[in-house]
Amino acid sequence: MSCKVGIPRALLYYKYFPMWKAFLEKLGAEIIVSENTNQKLILQGASLVVSDTCLPVKVFIGHVLSLSDKCDKLLIPVVRSTSEKVYNCSRFLALPDLARAVVPGVPPILEIEFDYSRGKSYLYRQIYSLGKNFTINPFKIKAAALYAWETHQRYHEITAQQHLTRLEAIDLIHNGKSITIKETKNDGLTIGIAGHPYVLHDEQVSHNLIKRLKAAGVNILTPEMAPEAPDSNGNGHTQFAGLAKNYWESEEDVVGAGDWYTRIKVDGIIGIMAFACGPDSMMMSLVQRQAHSANIPFMSLTVEEHTAEAGIVTRIEAFLDMIHRARRRNEQCV
Amino acid sequence: MRITFPHIGNAYIAVKAMLDPLGVDYVVPPKCNKRTLSLATKYSPEGVCIPFKLNLGNMIEAVELGADHILNVTGHGTCRMGYYFKVQEQILRDMGYDVTMMLTGLSEHKLRGFLNLLRSVSNNAPWSKIISSFTFGIAKMTALDDMEILANNMRAFEIKKGTITPIYRKSLRAIDDASDYRALKDAVKEYGEEMSGVEVIPDYKPLKILVVGEIYVVLDPFANMDVEMELGKLGVVTKRSLYLSRWVKKGLFFNPMGIDQWRDVHKAAMPYLKRDIGGDGWETVGEKVISTGHYDGMVHLAPFTCMPEGTAQCIMPSTKEDLPVLAIYCDEQTSKAGMITRLEAFTDMIAMKKAGCLSQ
Repeated sequence: MSCKVGIPRALLYYKYFPMWKAFLEKLGAEIIVSENTNQKLILQGASLVVSDTCLPVKVFIGHVLSLSDKCDKLLIPVVRSTSEKVYNCSRFLALPDLARAVVPGVPPILEIEFDYSRGKSYLYRQIYSLGKNFTINPFKIKAAALYAWETHQRYHEITAQQHLTRLEAIDLIHNGKSITIKETKNDGLTIGIAGHPYVLHDEQVSHNLIKRLKAAGVNILTPEMAPEAPDSNGNGHTQFAGLAKNYWESEEDVVGAGDWYTRIKVDGIIGIMAFACGPDSMMMSLVQRQAHSANIPFMSLTVEEHTAEAGIVTRIEAFLDMIHRARRRNEQCV
Repeated sequence: MRITFPHIGNAYIAVKAMLDPLGVDYVVPPKCNKRTLSLATKYSPEGVCIPFKLNLGNMIEAVELGADHILNVTGHGTCRMGYYFKVQEQILRDMGYDVTMMLTGLSEHKLRGFLNLLRSVSNNAPWSKIISSFTFGIAKMTALDDMEILANNMRAFEIKKGTITPIYRKSLRAIDDASDYRALKDAVKEYGEEMSGVEVIPDYKPLKILVVGEIYVVLDPFANMDVEMELGKLGVVTKRSLYLSRWVKKGLFFNPMGIDQWRDVHKAAMPYLKRDIGGDGWETVGEKVISTGHYDGMVHLAPFTCMPEGTAQCIMPSTKEDLPVLAIYCDEQTSKAGMITRLEAFTDMIAMKKAGCLSQ
C-alpha cells in the first residue's frame, strides 16, 4: 500500500508544489492536497496560534489541521535559503516545529531543509533522507530528484513565458488543461500586483482579487510573470536593481515585482500584504515609496482573517475609478 | 561630519567611551521619550516592530541636532533588524534629511568590520588608539551590566522601596563620566558597595523570575516600560541571560571563533524547535526548558509582530517542562498601568503556585 503524503495548500505550496509532487510520486507515494482555503479553516488555524501570528501561517496551520486525519505523513519542507546570503522569513524556518507544537494529532512530519550556505552535499543528504522514507534505493531517489528539478524548471518557464498565474501553471502541468489566451484589450488598464503567491493566489485570503480585476477588464501582472533575467531593454525581474539588495527569500515577489512594474510603467500597482507579515511591513513600504516617486498610483491592501469582502471590493472599485479618471483628464489635456 | 547612533538600553555610554578618545564629533540622541515614539510611529510603516520605530525616532531627533552620519550595525539573517537601515535611510531621505548610513555587518565582517568602522569615523586614527578605545568601551559595557545585575538582584530585598534605583542611576552617570580604567573601577566599587550596603529584609525568600525575549525590548527600559524595575518593586528577583556585553562579545569574539555560548540552551530547545529561527526565538524556547525548576516564572518580552518571538510563543506551551510564562508585547500602544496590573497578577499566581495553594 502506498504511503499517503499530505501537502498543505498554503505558503510554499504555490512555489514548489509541482516539484514536490513530481518527487514523491516518482517514489510511489500518494499525494493528498488539502482542500481550498475557506473561512472555517482560517478560523480553526487562527485559534491554535497566538494572535499576532501572520495570516498565512494561520492559514497554513488550518490546512495542516484539516489534513491531520487524512494522511499518513505530512510534507513540510524548510526553505532556509536558495541563494547566497538571502534567507527566508523566520516563520518559514519553524513551520514543522510549529505544526508539531500546536496541531493536535498531527501525523509524522517529513522535514527537509534547503540551505544554500551549507553547500551541495548537505542538500543531497537532505534529499536522500527524505527519499529514504519511501525507498532504500539511492539511485531511485536520485532519478526522482532530477525529475522533480526538471518539473520545477518547466513550471517556472511556463509561468513566465505564457504569463500565467501560479495556479494556472499548476493546473497546466498536472491536468494538462489548455489555457485560453487572455484577450488583451488595448484600452484596458494594466495593473501590477505585488504580493506573495500564498496571499495573492489563495482566493479566500485575497478575496478573489485577481478574478475581480479581470472581471473589471483589467490586464493584470503578477510577480511570477516577470521574466527571470532582464531583456535587452532592461525589462526584467532584476535583482532589486532599483531598490535594494534582496534580503529575504520570498521578497522578490514584492520588491522585485514592484521594481519591474515601475520600470515597465504599469497604470497602477496594488500591494497586497497579510496583517503582521514581518518582511512585507518594510518591503511594501519601499515599493510604495518607489511607486510614489515614479508617479504610479499605488494601493496597499492589508488582509487578515476578519477582512470584509465588501471593503476590498469597494477599495478596488475606487482605485480603478481614480486611475480611469486621471487617464481621461490627461487625454483631455492633450 | 557629525555622527550619531540609535539607542539600545544603556549602550550609548559604551559607544561614547569608544568615540571620545578618538576625537569624533558626535551627538547622542535624546533618550527615548514620548516625542521619540510619536515621531517614530508617524513616519514608520505601520506594521513594523518597535525597535525599528524607536531607532528611527532616535535618528530623527539626532538629525535635528545636526547629525548627518548614522552608525549602525546590520546583518544577514531572518530577522528584520538586518534590513532596518535601508528603509530608515529611505524614510529620512523622503523627509528631506540628507544622511549617510555607516554600517557594519556584525555577522559577516565581525570584529574587523567594527574596528574598521571606528577607524573610518575617527579620520584614520592609529590602530593602537582605536583598539584601546574599543576595549575601554567594552569594559564600560561590562561594568554597566554588572551594575544592572546587582540592582535587579537587590531591589527585591530593600526595606525602603525605591532606594536602589537612584543609586543605580547615579552609578550609570559615574560610569559614563569615568575617563580611565581606574575611575571606572572606582565607580563600580563605590556604587556596588553602596547598593550591597542597602538595608535589606532579613530572611526574605523572593520569587525568582527569568526575563527573556527579543534583545532590544529586553535591554531597553523605555521599550519594556522598566519591567525589571517594576518586578523588583513587587519583591521579585529578576535574572536574564541576555546582557549587552554578553551579546556583543558573542557577536564579535565567540561566534567567529565557533564557540556557542548558548550551547546548552540550544540543546535544550532541540526537542521543540530544531533550528535557529533568527532573532532570539531559539534561545527563548531553550531558556524555558532549561530554567524550569530553577525559576518560579518567566516573563517573555517581544515586540508586536516579531517573527521569531511569536513563533517561540506558539511553541512554548507545548513543552513538557512546566514554567509559568507571562508574554508581554511591547509596542507604541502598550500602557504601563496595564503592564503593572498583569505583573501583579502574574506574581500573585506564581506565589500561590509556589505555596501550593493552586490545585492542579
